[in-house]
Amino acid sequence: MLEFKNLEKKFGNFVAVNKINLKINKGELFGFLGPNGAGKTTTIKMIVGLLSPTSGTIFLDNIDVWQKPLKTKMKIGYIPDQPFLYDKLTGREYLYFSGGLYNIAKDVLKVKIDEQIELLKIGSWIDKRTEEYSQGMRQRIVIASAFLHDPDFIIVDEPMIGLDPQSAFLVKRLFEDKSKNGITIFMSTHSLNVVEEICTNVSIINKGNIIFSDAIDRLHDLKKEKNNNLEELFIQLTNEE
Amino acid sequence: MKQIIHILKYKLISYIRLESRFTFGYFVKNIGSGLIYFAFAVGAFFFSQNLIRFLLVDIHIGLFLLHEFISMIFFIFFMSVNLGNIIVSYSTLYKSDEVNFLLTKPVSPSKIFFLKFLDNYFYSSSTMIMVLLSMLAGYAFYFKINVLGFLLLLLNFFPFMFSAGSLGVIILLIIIRFANRYGMRKVFAALGISYFLIILIFFKINSPLSLVNSIMKQNPFFSRDTYFAEFLPPIVKWLPNNWLSQSAYRIVKNDISGLIGFTYMQIALSVLLFTVALYLGHKWYFKTWLLNSKMTADQNANRKKVKSFFSFEKVSILKSQTEAIIKRDLLLFLRESSQVIHSIVLLFLIVIFVLSVSGMKFVGFGNFYLQTIIYLSVFLFNLFFISTLSLRFIFPLISLEGLAFWKLKSAPVKANNFIKHKLIVISTIILIISAGLSFFSNYKFGFLLTIFSLTVTLFAAAAIISINFGMGGIFSNYKEKNAIRLSSSQGATLSFLSNIVYMLFLIVMLFKPVSELFLSIMIKKYFDLTVFLQALIPIGIISTIIIYTYLKIAYRSLQKDF
Repeated sequence: MLEFKNLEKKFGNFVAVNKINLKINKGELFGFLGPNGAGKTTTIKMIVGLLSPTSGTIFLDNIDVWQKPLKTKMKIGYIPDQPFLYDKLTGREYLYFSGGLYNIAKDVLKVKIDEQIELLKIGSWIDKRTEEYSQGMRQRIVIASAFLHDPDFIIVDEPMIGLDPQSAFLVKRLFEDKSKNGITIFMSTHSLNVVEEICTNVSIINKGNIIFSDAIDRLHDLKKEKNNNLEELFIQLTNEE
Repeated sequence: MKQIIHILKYKLISYIRLESRFTFGYFVKNIGSGLIYFAFAVGAFFFSQNLIRFLLVDIHIGLFLLHEFISMIFFIFFMSVNLGNIIVSYSTLYKSDEVNFLLTKPVSPSKIFFLKFLDNYFYSSSTMIMVLLSMLAGYAFYFKINVLGFLLLLLNFFPFMFSAGSLGVIILLIIIRFANRYGMRKVFAALGISYFLIILIFFKINSPLSLVNSIMKQNPFFSRDTYFAEFLPPIVKWLPNNWLSQSAYRIVKNDISGLIGFTYMQIALSVLLFTVALYLGHKWYFKTWLLNSKMTADQNANRKKVKSFFSFEKVSILKSQTEAIIKRDLLLFLRESSQVIHSIVLLFLIVIFVLSVSGMKFVGFGNFYLQTIIYLSVFLFNLFFISTLSLRFIFPLISLEGLAFWKLKSAPVKANNFIKHKLIVISTIILIISAGLSFFSNYKFGFLLTIFSLTVTLFAAAAIISINFGMGGIFSNYKEKNAIRLSSSQGATLSFLSNIVYMLFLIVMLFKPVSELFLSIMIKKYFDLTVFLQALIPIGIISTIIIYTYLKIAYRSLQKDF
């Protein structure tokens, strides 16, 4: 379970995340929606340890993320919005490097890497240096690296950026499978279609405040009231704030 | 021109906004930086005055030899700025995102070349210019040169530095063209060998020792202040470093008519080199940019899969996390050609330095004060080397994590372990080099001084490494990928100045024990070892405090938001 209690982040006087409360249960595929600058990435960065909260707490299976960072980081697989890699390493080397950070034994790691190569269909260019990769290729390497240590939680920020339709399809199916196997997925996106297609629960954040949080079915109901136009609903919700 | 001014305007706005955030921390950091800069400028000012006084009054080398030594220092500066500019220009002209952006806009490549040329020159040479300017001010003050004289000195100095920068860019453009024909590796190897030979030949034909001997033979028939132009090899007279030192000599002698010729040549050379650089830039920049892209693409396409010695797939005795970080750092280092080339150049300089000091015999034997000064000067040079290595290889360590740092920061890696893994390899190498430098510059002075100096040097090396690592943390810039640019940034300059403050502390602490040792040897008196201990204890304590403090600073910087 992933839980935020009064989670707040300020940058000077600017409140990026305003004391939000959320609870995401095990196995949920949680969509975190919001317009640009709403506070999605800030929230995610606080979960994975890249930004420290100004106040409030984040619990991961009832463990405070900022009190026991090493323990909770072992449980998280993080996929950022910008897939920055080391240009001079090959994709395979990057995966070995990533696995090493989680202290995975080398023989186990080799098997895991081969599995990910197969699953994400990255075998034909895995041994090229990442400086030659396109955005989508980089994204797939990052996704592979997030699954190496069998995390219980996948925290993913805008996963579909740069992915071609085949890769996007592959990633969506991957998330669905993982979710069915009990892995909790917290996915920030501004792609309404993706949320509609695969998420089980959804929250909408705008200007640092949660303005909607419910099961995806509730969003579908609201959508019906807006002539089946999710886009219109989203614009209305985020403009009301 | 309008377009250039437009681009410069927005570059300036972005720079000012980046450098002027009005937060308390930023304010304190800038005030601190300003104070250190000021203290260093004052320090360099007094240092150059005292050094000149020492050379002229205590050793009586005379004005001619003084200016010839200054000429040699200028030669080293010229080569450093020149080589530095080649390496840094490569990344600014061929690997910069800004260039990629501007090339997609209706801006001519010649204008982009001009903008990046200026950008690069002022960025990479600012520290060196500041150091030299402070020392020139000390020089002017010692010789009581008036404002006009000092301005004339600067009128010679700036074109000199500009020539070095322009020549660097010209060489770079030629390199890229040749590299396309003969291959990158061959051309860079040829360049490295050429620099090696130029330095070797310069000091072979312009040997300081032969020059000193020649001048000493003239004593007492001629004043040592006379300009003995006939003792200089003809080729040396055609070098801009010699023109600059001769200009300084003429200013001191108030010989304005003699100065004009050198000033004219200095300015003419810089205008010529700048014009050639602009012309070649206009003709070749875009072509070489395309060539470079093609070469990079070819290199990538033809790269064979070779299992590296540091391959991740090999079984290792190290813990997984340790292995992952160390191997990654080694692979990234070895695959970055500028890192490798710069390391080779520095290694070469170290070997030259070690060969020079290990063969050094005492000048002025019988004068314990002079012996102490010479000994401490060599010690200071050792420290400068250690500081340069640390600045170049330790300071950028945290910044070089780059934007991909998210992986490590979101992984279960303890900050302490991260620091340990980052430092272990490069610190060990620097400590070994430091020990080597200390040994070779001391073994002729006997066992006692060798051990004492080795202990102090190892303390100093550890402290200097920590200072640079901590300062690298405070001034981390994850967006800058070039280690050389990082080590010539404002933060790096401050780090270097902090090193100098610590180095001066060491020199002050060493003066008493070393001079007493030399005195006891001279008058064949028993030397009390506790004198060494009295110096060693405060050095040990202060160094340990510095190591702890700066590692703590690095640790704190890793906790910052990313």
